[in-house]
Amino acid sequence: MIRSLIVKSTVTLLLSTLLVAAAQGVTITWFVGLGTGADPAQQGVQEAVVEAFNAMQDDITLKVVFVINQVSVETLSTLIATGEAPDIVGPVGFAGSNAFKGNFLDIQPYVDASGYDLSQFPEAAVEFQRTEEGLLGLPLANFPAFLYYRPEHFDEAGLEYPPASYGDPYILDGEEVEWDVDTMTEIAKILTVDANGNDATMDEFDPENIVQWGFMNQWAGPGAMRQHATLFGSGHLVDEDGNAFMPEHWRAAFNWLHQGIWEDHFIPTEAQNASDQLANDNAFSSGNLSMAQSHLWYTCCLADDGWDAAALPSYNGQATARLHADTFRILNTTEHPAEAFEVLAYLTGEASLDLLSVYGGMPARPDDQPQFFARLDEKYPQGVNWEVVRESLNFPDIPTHEAWLPNNNKTNDRIDALRSLLTSEPGVDVDAEIDKMIADLQAIYEEYYAEEGR
Amino acid sequence: MMATAEMNKPQAGRLMRQQQRWGWIFLSPWIIGFFAFTALPILASLIFSFTDFALNKPEEIEFVGFQNYVQLFKDPLVSVSLWVTLKFALLSLPIAVALPIALASLLNSKHLRGKRVLRTLFYMPYIVPVVSAVYIWQGVLNTETGWLNRLFGLLGISGPDWLNSVVWIYPALVIIGLWGLGNAYLITLAGMQSVPTEYYEAARVDGANGWHRFRHVTLPMISPVIFYNLILTIIGLFRYFEIPFILKQGTGYPGSSTMFFNIHFYKTTFVFLDMGYGSTLAWLLFLITLAVTLVLFASARYWVYYASGDSS
Amino acid sequence: MAATRTAVQNTVNTSPYYGRQLKQFTAVALTTLFAFMILGVYLMPFSYMLVTSFKDKAQIIAGAKGPILPMDPITLNYQGEVLEVFKVPFPEGVRQLALLKKGRSESSFVDPENPDAEPIVWEGRWRTLEPVIQFSPRYGNFKAAWDGINFPRLLFNTTFIAVTGLIGTLLSCIAVAYAFARFPIPGKPILFMVLIATIILPRQVMLVPTFAFFSAIGWVGTWLPLIVPHFFANAYNVFLLRQYFLQLPRELDEAAMIDGAGPLRILLSVIIPQSWPVIVAVALFHLVFAWNDYFEPLIYTLGKPEIQPIAVGIQQFNFRFNQQPHLIQATALLGMVLPVILFFMAQRFFMRGVVVTGVEK
Repeated sequence: MIRSLIVKSTVTLLLSTLLVAAAQGVTITWFVGLGTGADPAQQGVQEAVVEAFNAMQDDITLKVVFVINQVSVETLSTLIATGEAPDIVGPVGFAGSNAFKGNFLDIQPYVDASGYDLSQFPEAAVEFQRTEEGLLGLPLANFPAFLYYRPEHFDEAGLEYPPASYGDPYILDGEEVEWDVDTMTEIAKILTVDANGNDATMDEFDPENIVQWGFMNQWAGPGAMRQHATLFGSGHLVDEDGNAFMPEHWRAAFNWLHQGIWEDHFIPTEAQNASDQLANDNAFSSGNLSMAQSHLWYTCCLADDGWDAAALPSYNGQATARLHADTFRILNTTEHPAEAFEVLAYLTGEASLDLLSVYGGMPARPDDQPQFFARLDEKYPQGVNWEVVRESLNFPDIPTHEAWLPNNNKTNDRIDALRSLLTSEPGVDVDAEIDKMIADLQAIYEEYYAEEGR
Repeated sequence: MMATAEMNKPQAGRLMRQQQRWGWIFLSPWIIGFFAFTALPILASLIFSFTDFALNKPEEIEFVGFQNYVQLFKDPLVSVSLWVTLKFALLSLPIAVALPIALASLLNSKHLRGKRVLRTLFYMPYIVPVVSAVYIWQGVLNTETGWLNRLFGLLGISGPDWLNSVVWIYPALVIIGLWGLGNAYLITLAGMQSVPTEYYEAARVDGANGWHRFRHVTLPMISPVIFYNLILTIIGLFRYFEIPFILKQGTGYPGSSTMFFNIHFYKTTFVFLDMGYGSTLAWLLFLITLAVTLVLFASARYWVYYASGDSS
Repeated sequence: MAATRTAVQNTVNTSPYYGRQLKQFTAVALTTLFAFMILGVYLMPFSYMLVTSFKDKAQIIAGAKGPILPMDPITLNYQGEVLEVFKVPFPEGVRQLALLKKGRSESSFVDPENPDAEPIVWEGRWRTLEPVIQFSPRYGNFKAAWDGINFPRLLFNTTFIAVTGLIGTLLSCIAVAYAFARFPIPGKPILFMVLIATIILPRQVMLVPTFAFFSAIGWVGTWLPLIVPHFFANAYNVFLLRQYFLQLPRELDEAAMIDGAGPLRILLSVIIPQSWPVIVAVALFHLVFAWNDYFEPLIYTLGKPEIQPIAVGIQQFNFRFNQQPHLIQATALLGMVLPVILFFMAQRFFMRGVVVTGVEK
């Protein structure tokens, strides 16, 4: 067995060397891992897309590289630092690419040169990819956030389902009430249950022994506090003069979060979230969570059990659904920008529906959307309310919660420290901690401004 | 040595030169390897520490003189992370040095049956890949559902929040570290195996009991191996990284309690992509560790016994 | 000889013999028991790994506060729905019923023995009921792990990288340690400190220049960066071997030298035979290191899954959005089988008697 393996591997190695030597022309490397895409279940489709491209033409050899998300930043930075940078990275959103600000190619010249038709996308989608560095990508996918909920838990508690459409009221105890954060908090407490079946509104409720939680913000990327806070409306941590700044409604959001964890107990603590009970930081798929705010890319996990989609609650009369719009980017170190753009156009064009079926994103091209949702319905036959997902696109957060901040990586690091504190420590003076963070952010911004001015 | 001293001078000199030549021949793999694979990266990292090398902007590298070294004094995380590292080192060093000796003695005991199985099983955790080990410990040490606290719960004790409390995280890390003692115990065992049996027999004839034999034969005879463990443990503690990094995704939480020096270095280099300052931090760590190591080497002559009668 | 002596004692006076025998037996029993107790505590987390590898996700979640072993609820198929069976208390006794409709203050149940009857309404909180469960381990995890990452291929890669590196590290480290332990090289203490110093700098700081170097000589994407450097000695093993060699008395060397043996002969026929335990230890360390080394194999084999080692492959199950702890543990366990067996076999070298300990008389 070993012997046949040795023979086989030698032959494979030799063959692959020969094949590489034989493949004339340009090689374009595509790096997957900064966002979604590196799961084994996703790899196959992407490899098939690469093979199809290589079979289609002879000028460019496309090569794909998968790196798990946890080590993707260090891997990519090592490659860039040593001159081994890939040509294309993605799918990636702003959160994943802010770390590499200044490394991306402005593709506008190649759009112009090749006569690429941008009008197939809504203008807003194109503009979303444009920063002061230029046009950094072609629109690929939209991942709006919405409210995931488990109908079964609502049935058990005898509660009505959350509204299926934005603007609809909620029916609580037979009466219409506004579907706002307060209402959601109220039902989240009812949905939070201890081992004896008491819910979080009762006096005899035992917070040491919770078995089901009402709500959480599923999955936190870098600077996740901004994600959390966007439930209360969009905001930005920089004011017009470039100073650190905390919007009032975000301050309210942080206080609400801390109270929801430590006093009302309907949001899991850090330790609870990391426990086996909530599937090791993946509460969504644990069956012990009733409502979650998350993005469309979480459709990966819908199959496990009966989730459905609903409208997010409003705050001060305004609902906000965070938007992610991940796509592919070209690194400006590429030696073959024109060829890389050709690949980019292929990935966001012909290959996009196949890719999006594993990335879980809604096509940015409106014409492709019906087909996309038809595919999803095949996959999740429980009948998910996709209409509210589409509707969520009307309530995007502008500016985006993933907006670049001065000294971005350090800034996010400081914001994460606040999240860690609020989710792992009871009895924190939230307002004082926010003020402390703002003061620190100011210093971090100034360090950046000083360096830029140098 | 005796033999050479009795020979006449020119012959001794020739023998000396011949011995030296053989010495260099045996040493050559390392010398070549040092220049081929190690010297260059070390030198490069030293040069980086005088630049503003950002990993994602390799072409914009510029010399900045001693600016990174000045930054060391302004960066509050330098003292925070050194203190965290020192605290943890003081807590775990005695355990990391003493426990392998105890374990090796137990597993070398002539009264023990099932040695092969026991030795294998005690080493086994060391083979568990670190990612999988961290998962295991997260499962075992979780406040609510961890086996340890569930065990405490059966005894009516409410266990601490091991992994999210700025106090309990250190005992938790020490407990996790116990699984990493496999190498040290095995080395000690190998050392004990090489103590010539005659020494024990001689001690027995002199009427020494078990403890005396351990204290006056085993310990001095394995002191070179203990010295090795000590040096390696200290270097390892200064470079402590993998477990807190995977456990807390390199964040340093809770608070700054897992902000070990090496995590600060790693974050600076690979999250903030500041290779210039990161290299400076690495060199600070290098100098501190080297100083401690040199002191220990200087102390070795007082307590490490080499049967060959040689050290330098 | 020993046998005749005991036989003699036996005839003369039986009681001290049995006394010693008993004392011996007690010592063995107590020591062994103590060792196994310590082992039990030490390996408690390992049993967590073991049971996790036999669970599926739902069982891990259910086990968080429930049963430690992989258990499944006993279920009833009722009109196309799968219902879990609970022990429900009634005044007349406890009945095993399938939970049909959950409610906060009352729930309805179906009797599995009479599923066509009207559902039974029970007042009380179903969460306080004890579920009826049975032992049902998920052996399939191991197959899934095996298939999921092309295990035979990864195993071959890892073994190849580990074994070639092992040969290199043993050859070079023994030679270099021998030089440091036995030869009068000028400036030896300084050279030795340089050697030690090379392991003090964090590996990550040298990563970028090292990677740039291997990339410049075209070794990236091959096994060479993971194998070749081991042929040029590493400080950990040299230091360890040197310590051990220094511990060996010089008399044997000198005796061999007087017999006309050259330095190489002395190394092969005097030093190495006395050092098997430590050489085997070094070999084991290297194997375990090569087995679990992650980041460098990752970047040097990037984009070439066909040459990646096991540690990189295992990480596949550690993806961010949908972690699979049971597959991680199953894969890790599969990956450990070979090193553990090797370790067990290598025990031979740690058993006194195989080792040549002293001057033969």
